[in-house]
Amino acid sequence: MNAMLENGIVVTVAGVLREYLMLLFGNQFLTDLIMKFIGLGALIGVILTAAIVFTYAERKVCALIQVRLGPNRVGGRFGLLQPFADMLKLMSKEDIIPAGCDRVVWALSPMLLFVPSALAYAFFPFDKGAVFADVNVGIFLLIAISSQAVLPFLMGGYASNSKYAMIGGMRTVAQMLSYEAPMVFSLLGIVMLTGSLKMSDIVAVQADNVWFVLLQPVAFVIFVITATAETNRTPFDLVEGESEIVAGAFSEYSGMRWALFFLAEYANLLAVSILTTTFFLGGWSGPVLPGVVWFGLKAVFMVFVFMWLRWTFPRTRIDQMLSLSWKVLLPLALVNVMCTGIGIYIYRLL
Amino acid sequence: MFGKGLITGMGITIRHFFGKKATFCYPEEKLTMTEHFRGGHLTIDYKKCIACQLCAIQCPNQAIKLKVVTDANRKRHLESYVHSMGRCLYCDLCIEGCAPHALSWDKDYEISTWHKEDLVHQVMTDEDRSYLAEVMTQAAANPTPPPVPKAAPKPAAAAPPAAKPADTEVKPRE
Repeated sequence: MNAMLENGIVVTVAGVLREYLMLLFGNQFLTDLIMKFIGLGALIGVILTAAIVFTYAERKVCALIQVRLGPNRVGGRFGLLQPFADMLKLMSKEDIIPAGCDRVVWALSPMLLFVPSALAYAFFPFDKGAVFADVNVGIFLLIAISSQAVLPFLMGGYASNSKYAMIGGMRTVAQMLSYEAPMVFSLLGIVMLTGSLKMSDIVAVQADNVWFVLLQPVAFVIFVITATAETNRTPFDLVEGESEIVAGAFSEYSGMRWALFFLAEYANLLAVSILTTTFFLGGWSGPVLPGVVWFGLKAVFMVFVFMWLRWTFPRTRIDQMLSLSWKVLLPLALVNVMCTGIGIYIYRLL
Repeated sequence: MFGKGLITGMGITIRHFFGKKATFCYPEEKLTMTEHFRGGHLTIDYKKCIACQLCAIQCPNQAIKLKVVTDANRKRHLESYVHSMGRCLYCDLCIEGCAPHALSWDKDYEISTWHKEDLVHQVMTDEDRSYLAEVMTQAAANPTPPPVPKAAPKPAAAAPPAAKPADTEVKPRE
């Protein structure tokens, strides 16, 4: 029990599993390999569960905010089976391939889009010691990987042979690239405070001291805004603005291919929520409850905040969005970095 | 302050999120219609009705067909009252014109039918018919002698005044 509190539930369970596998196979390499696959399976499981739960949650949150009830027919009073009904519908839909499209690129795009969003999960510290790949350039690698999501969008937009998809693809590039800059600079303050790019270190520092949301409130706000833009959610959903460009880069997709875009969107939503949790809300740290539960609660809360933002604000215009990024958020993030530096300097003098 | 509107907006949405919802889960929950809702079936308070036929006369589409019988006391009663819902434009004139306020809507909005024949609605219920039969037999059994008031005013205008006092007498009794 003591060891469990020390290491966290996930690590303890993994340790027990590893010992069992060692007994079974007696081979270190094979055990490691199987453990890696189990970890991978768990991550994919988290992503898929998140996608299923969030489609339901998004409908429900949207409805409750709009003074409606939301799904309440399929699967009882609360419509709990709605995501499965949606999934069945998507799977049974016709797979329409637009005329004159670039077939290979077009088919690759939704699959490739899922890769960076899933890959980012490898770096998340779900619990104390429970990181799939605890690399020492964590944040850097994470941002590098997640910005790869731009390319599949552009591919899909270009290959669809449709003006709306093309515009959507171009907008994705403009939006995601311009919002990456303030996002990175808002995280710089945290890196300066921790002195490490390692995700587990960032959480460990917060667990020992205070959550960074108290030390870096401006960075927190900037991060939430940029994260909304990075996930293409409503105040900044110009990429898929229905009233202007149908559905942006995935206008021409239908059925399961379209569902893959959605899967990636919800994977991204959870990813940015987890990032906010890790960087600003102390990750798995918290009293009484085990680390994973705290982590889950915080992440779900952030997901709710993102949904809340989405269903509160109307869509901005493309020029407003870009000028907000370059003229407001980026200078603010830079000022924040400078203030953090001065703060750290003064703190060391004391 | 910059961004104040954003926070106000989020306050409103979170209040809506936890607040009461406007949705009614229709087949399970039903809305009660407002006081002045015009729609549904016509209903008649048979005991109040004086069979004056004003409703049928006022109806612009002749959607109301009624038959009147006179009992042994020379009092008029409805024998049948048919409301053709397909012709009705729900203008409410019949109800506004009803002198003893006997007509009303039942405000049931589930009145669509598969066949146009079903749109013909019998307003009188079986209860009303049995009441009518009862009244008719009663009147036939002990007819009150009418000739005394009727003999004095000779002209044609005699009949309505005779009917009206009878009606006003009925009302307070109810």
